[in-house]
Amino acid sequence: MSGHRLAGTTLRSRTAAAVADERLRANVARAVDRFASHRLRGLAELDDGHGGGPDALRRAARAVKADVLARLPELLERFADRVLDLGGHVCWAPTAADARRYVVDVVRSTGARRVAKSKSMATEEIDLNPALEAAGAEVVETDLGEWIVQLAGEAPSHIIAPALHKDRHQIRDLFVDAVAAPADLPTEPAELVAFARRRLRDVFLGADVGVTGANVAVASTGSIVLVTNEGNGRLVTALPRVHVVVLGMERLAADWDQAELLLALLARSATGQRLSSYTSVVTGPRGPGEVDGPEELHVVILDNGRSELLGGEHHEMLACIRCGACLNVCPVYRQTGGHAYGWVYPGPMGAVLTPLLAAGHPEAAEVADASTLCGACMDACPVQIPLQDLLLSLRRTKAERAGRAERAAWRTWSAAWSDPRRYAATTRAATWGRWAAPVARHLPVARRWASGRTVPRPAGERFRDRWRRGL
Amino acid sequence: MGGTDRTGRGHGREAGDRAAFLAPARRGLAGGIPANPVHPPPGPLGGAGVPRPRYRNLDPDDLVGTFARSVAEADGTCHVVEGDVPDDLLDRLVDELGGRKVVATAEPEAAGVARRLAARGATVEPFTVEAAARAALGVTGAAAAVAATGSIVLDSRRAGGRTASLLPPVHLCVVRATALHPTPADVLRRLGDGGGTLPPSLVVVTGPSRTGDIEQLLTLGAHGPTALHVVLVVG
Repeated sequence: MSGHRLAGTTLRSRTAAAVADERLRANVARAVDRFASHRLRGLAELDDGHGGGPDALRRAARAVKADVLARLPELLERFADRVLDLGGHVCWAPTAADARRYVVDVVRSTGARRVAKSKSMATEEIDLNPALEAAGAEVVETDLGEWIVQLAGEAPSHIIAPALHKDRHQIRDLFVDAVAAPADLPTEPAELVAFARRRLRDVFLGADVGVTGANVAVASTGSIVLVTNEGNGRLVTALPRVHVVVLGMERLAADWDQAELLLALLARSATGQRLSSYTSVVTGPRGPGEVDGPEELHVVILDNGRSELLGGEHHEMLACIRCGACLNVCPVYRQTGGHAYGWVYPGPMGAVLTPLLAAGHPEAAEVADASTLCGACMDACPVQIPLQDLLLSLRRTKAERAGRAERAAWRTWSAAWSDPRRYAATTRAATWGRWAAPVARHLPVARRWASGRTVPRPAGERFRDRWRRGL
Repeated sequence: MGGTDRTGRGHGREAGDRAAFLAPARRGLAGGIPANPVHPPPGPLGGAGVPRPRYRNLDPDDLVGTFARSVAEADGTCHVVEGDVPDDLLDRLVDELGGRKVVATAEPEAAGVARRLAARGATVEPFTVEAAARAALGVTGAAAAVAATGSIVLDSRRAGGRTASLLPPVHLCVVRATALHPTPADVLRRLGDGGGTLPPSLVVVTGPSRTGDIEQLLTLGAHGPTALHVVLVVG
């Protein structure tokens, strides 16, 4: 499975495919509505102790992430030193290829045949699964939603609910086709979950290596925090002999004061829960006198384009804690689901991250257009990332690189409408040419824009002329 | 490499070039960070530090009541008892076992329950991964509990591992009210205080295992326990 569908497609072609799928749109709309209402209920319960409500805490969380990013190199060193002191191994991976190579080496050197994974967007980003499979390992995703999309050969369509675009009937049919579930398996969610639980239990018990991401890494104690509801994150870090963490370099907190605030906002922003079922804090490998837990712990610290953003115009995007709240309120995501964004990260955060982190793909830049700039994303963001400002900035960069004809057209328009007399001339021309409006939609330049829209017909008399007559 | 730290675990190995990895980040930050002009960032947190979230559902005068409500709201079952785990709960759990086995950690709260379950005819095994994988009920203690979220805090050093509370379909956790704290901050913000290392695994458990991955409908018992019984012992 690969997250990359950018090559050879366009935002338009992917969006057209998504919006034509009524079932997908119904599934996505139902899911994001549930998430969004749960989030509001969950956040309303929090306050900063001064009546500032959840917004005061979001403001503080923005300040926390600003502090982390401003001293990121120092905190990364402190974190790595703690992990090493605890007996864990650390790999500094500047690129996706460096990270893949290290993880493949670990899997090879342990002679592992089966790798169990707990959902991780960072491993999606570096295309880890195909690399491990090429090295001869069987890779099994253990988050239920992630397992479903793995069986379907698809990429996740939501960062916390990978299979939200599928309904129970599609999932039952997939289980029957892909893993030989009994043909009479009921479509009741409880039955489907019980089937997956039985199948995946054997995977956990037989896995040699467990791979996870990290929700937060705490520099002061060298801890990795993993947040899951199903318990797969706990099993992946309890049963296999080796645990490999792929950590995006920006996912740090300096200490537990910072980490606690981020965790208080994370679960509520994601699913509305007070805390997810399991907030696991992993600090070093198995200790003496423990019957389970990994004997080896490897932490791969991944850059893959992130350091380019530090100190630049898109610096604040590195504050993202991957809760998915911006996806659930986005009017574009609601209509298309995640696959239309073309890469690993969908929704508003994906529309910013894709052009920045997948910059090697020429098709990535236009993903910044997948937004109405309504700003609902920033209002939902638990760390107040100014997503719409970042999207505008990316569009500005893209416009500067646009073709000569497009730039000339905008220059002409700008020159015409910067002068009152010239502006008046264009509006007069529009009233004269109003007969042409119904035909205009068939012109080659307007056809695409006009499909699905009503082309407005200019009035017979301009407002300025009526004003002059005294209305 | 080599050498042993105070935990008895050896020192880890470092792969890749740390200085080269950090150089681009240092370069990027050297020129300062431009402030967003449209939505300017807040100033740095003042002397009071990172604000502690307050929980509107927390009754500071009734931590036990808040805890019991929060456990129930997280789909767990809370039993507030005086003295010890009540007989009728143990009878019910033994009934539900239907002859299957029990695994119990060596924590003091769990050991007492294990003896009483065995006296009722249940087969109770000491904690190994194999025993946990066979068992229909896992019995553990907890290092702490949190009222506002209805959470229990499991410590692998204290329990001798992780899976007794995870592999069996039912988890029974016994915790004393003296270990009950108001909010997650009262537990998490103390981690790392005192200089010792944290346990290799510390898990804040809030309700049983669940998934919403099929149509965002809540389904309990995804990979971990389907049912969580928390016995809070007061007095």
